[in-house]
Amino acid sequence: MTHEIVAPLDGKVFQLKIKPGDTVEEDEEILVIEAMKMETPILVPCDGIVREIRVKEGDEVAENDVLVIIDEELIEA
Amino acid sequence: MKPYFAKMTEFGHALKKGRIKSTEENLNNIKNIEEDVADKVNRVKLAGFPEEKINARGQMTVWQRLEYLVDPGTWCPLHTLYNPMNNEEGTTNVIDGVGKISGKWAVIIGFDNKVMAGAWLPGQSENILRVTDLSKRLNIPLVWLVNCSGAKLTEQEKFYANRRGAGTPFFRHAELEQMGIPVLAGIYGTNPAGGGYQSISPTILFAHKDCNIAVGGVGIVSGMAPKGEFNLKAAEDIIERAKQFRTKPPGSVSTHYDETGFFRYVFEDETGVLDGLKAYMKDMPAYHPKFFRVTEPKEPRFPIDDLYRLIPLNPKRVYDFDEVLARLVDSSEHMEFRPDYGPEVYAGLCKINGFLVACIGNRQEYLGRDYPEYADYPGMGGKLYRQGLIKMNEFVTLCGRDRIPVIWLQDSSGLDVGDAAEKAELLGLAQGLVYSIQQTDVPMLLLLLRKGTASAHYLMGGPTANRHNAFTLGTAASEIYVMHGETAAVATYSRRLVKEKDAGRPLEPIIEKMNKLAQDYHEKSRPLFCAKSGMVDEIVPLRDLRKYFVAFTGAAYQNPKSICPQHHMILPRIIKG
Repeated sequence: MTHEIVAPLDGKVFQLKIKPGDTVEEDEEILVIEAMKMETPILVPCDGIVREIRVKEGDEVAENDVLVIIDEELIEA
Repeated sequence: MKPYFAKMTEFGHALKKGRIKSTEENLNNIKNIEEDVADKVNRVKLAGFPEEKINARGQMTVWQRLEYLVDPGTWCPLHTLYNPMNNEEGTTNVIDGVGKISGKWAVIIGFDNKVMAGAWLPGQSENILRVTDLSKRLNIPLVWLVNCSGAKLTEQEKFYANRRGAGTPFFRHAELEQMGIPVLAGIYGTNPAGGGYQSISPTILFAHKDCNIAVGGVGIVSGMAPKGEFNLKAAEDIIERAKQFRTKPPGSVSTHYDETGFFRYVFEDETGVLDGLKAYMKDMPAYHPKFFRVTEPKEPRFPIDDLYRLIPLNPKRVYDFDEVLARLVDSSEHMEFRPDYGPEVYAGLCKINGFLVACIGNRQEYLGRDYPEYADYPGMGGKLYRQGLIKMNEFVTLCGRDRIPVIWLQDSSGLDVGDAAEKAELLGLAQGLVYSIQQTDVPMLLLLLRKGTASAHYLMGGPTANRHNAFTLGTAASEIYVMHGETAAVATYSRRLVKEKDAGRPLEPIIEKMNKLAQDYHEKSRPLFCAKSGMVDEIVPLRDLRKYFVAFTGAAYQNPKSICPQHHMILPRIIKG
């Protein structure tokens, strides 16, 4: 199963903590969006592997933009 | 009211492995700060003569007396690092806190007899006034361990006189007694002058056989009648009289037990004095907890150590407030007040050790494009908007009506600002909250989880609400300032930057000043500074927070000044609908 992780708010990608192929665990912090003087961590919803990263540090993102795609089923395989 | 309180709504979630993995650094950073605070606390404990030296004199230290007096596991120290006048001794020389004695909550304070035999030091009266205020607010006994050699004479100008000077606690003792709050005193050692009033002003005096209390001690009696200068003959006279009084200091047990009867009891042993206090506390009037409990006490469903992973040290980092609260309250259950209104504010009824408490806190997350409803910009948690202010006004008013103690969990960057916020009446609603808090007359505790900023620090039960704020706790993550240091630097130097730029002068000197100001703000907002200056009453390790909640709640319900029967409460009905 594939999960698209979207931006919960407009802002700037402040930190990116993963790269494609990384194994991630449920609730792991994978990136941080800076907006309105605050840093909002983005957590992964499941155990999985990072299939694709569509942003880089410093990018401006809009609410609901897809940031990262996680393959959940790959870890089960 | 079992249907309301026996089983409330569960909230919170167990931490997942990804969260644990991501928060190791935060956990270690918080623990490092807590270790630093513990190190400073230890220095206060070691101030003055070593324990062995005091024990060799046949005396216990104040710490040993406290350990003997207080029920195990109940001691919640306050003001340990409070030293507002920067005394070289590193302390105001009184040790205080809340604890149980013989099963009853009391505010307890003692002079540190290791440091100048318990002398008055600068800042001490402010410390004592905080303690008498606490006893008054919680309506529980004040227990003193008096051992006070009088004023540190070389610094008397810093504390002897003035409206809140060293004599003011005696008036506070009288005030407490007039309110029906007893002040018990165990008395040790030599207590002349100020020490004499420290001893005589409490309600019942428990004396050690070697103690003395007096209007003036050996030093004063032998040095009275100024002659304009000191010379050899004067020195010989002083020696003669000092020897005479040292043999028999004024105000000993033979005077104040046998003659005046000021001492109600005299004890041969130091521990006998403490046993006397324990016996009196056992008989002290207090409601049995069952009178007010709404359920049996239960621990939270999640480990309190999760807090080290849930509360980010980074003040900009967003987190889930509800998860924090779920680690602190009984069974991780609550009844949330108006969850669909004012989303930046959490308000709800929870239980601590089986007692009903009201909790109010700042949610931190993004609030969406449609909130606040009065503005064309989105809202962010941590800030306060119109609905949140209205919600808190309603909630504390109802808490006052239902006589429910309030615990504030503050982490706010302030109120929304700008013309839209002014039109939305935030200024009036903010002062309205001050009015609402002031009229509740219920005890409140403030836990400064992280940021105390701008007027939000006042409004959300801050120590400025000092008629109702019993005490304020800080954490390793706490910081208090009128605004962030960088914001302050911009506010202070922005026009100067423009001026220098227009004049063609280099900007670097101004930039240097801006960085210095920002750094200064940082240093003067951190936990140790907050504790030293009294902005918080204690920096508490996260894992001990619930212990303080238990102490506060138990004390608040021990002898409340007014009662609302559980079946007359309106707030739970409003929440249920």
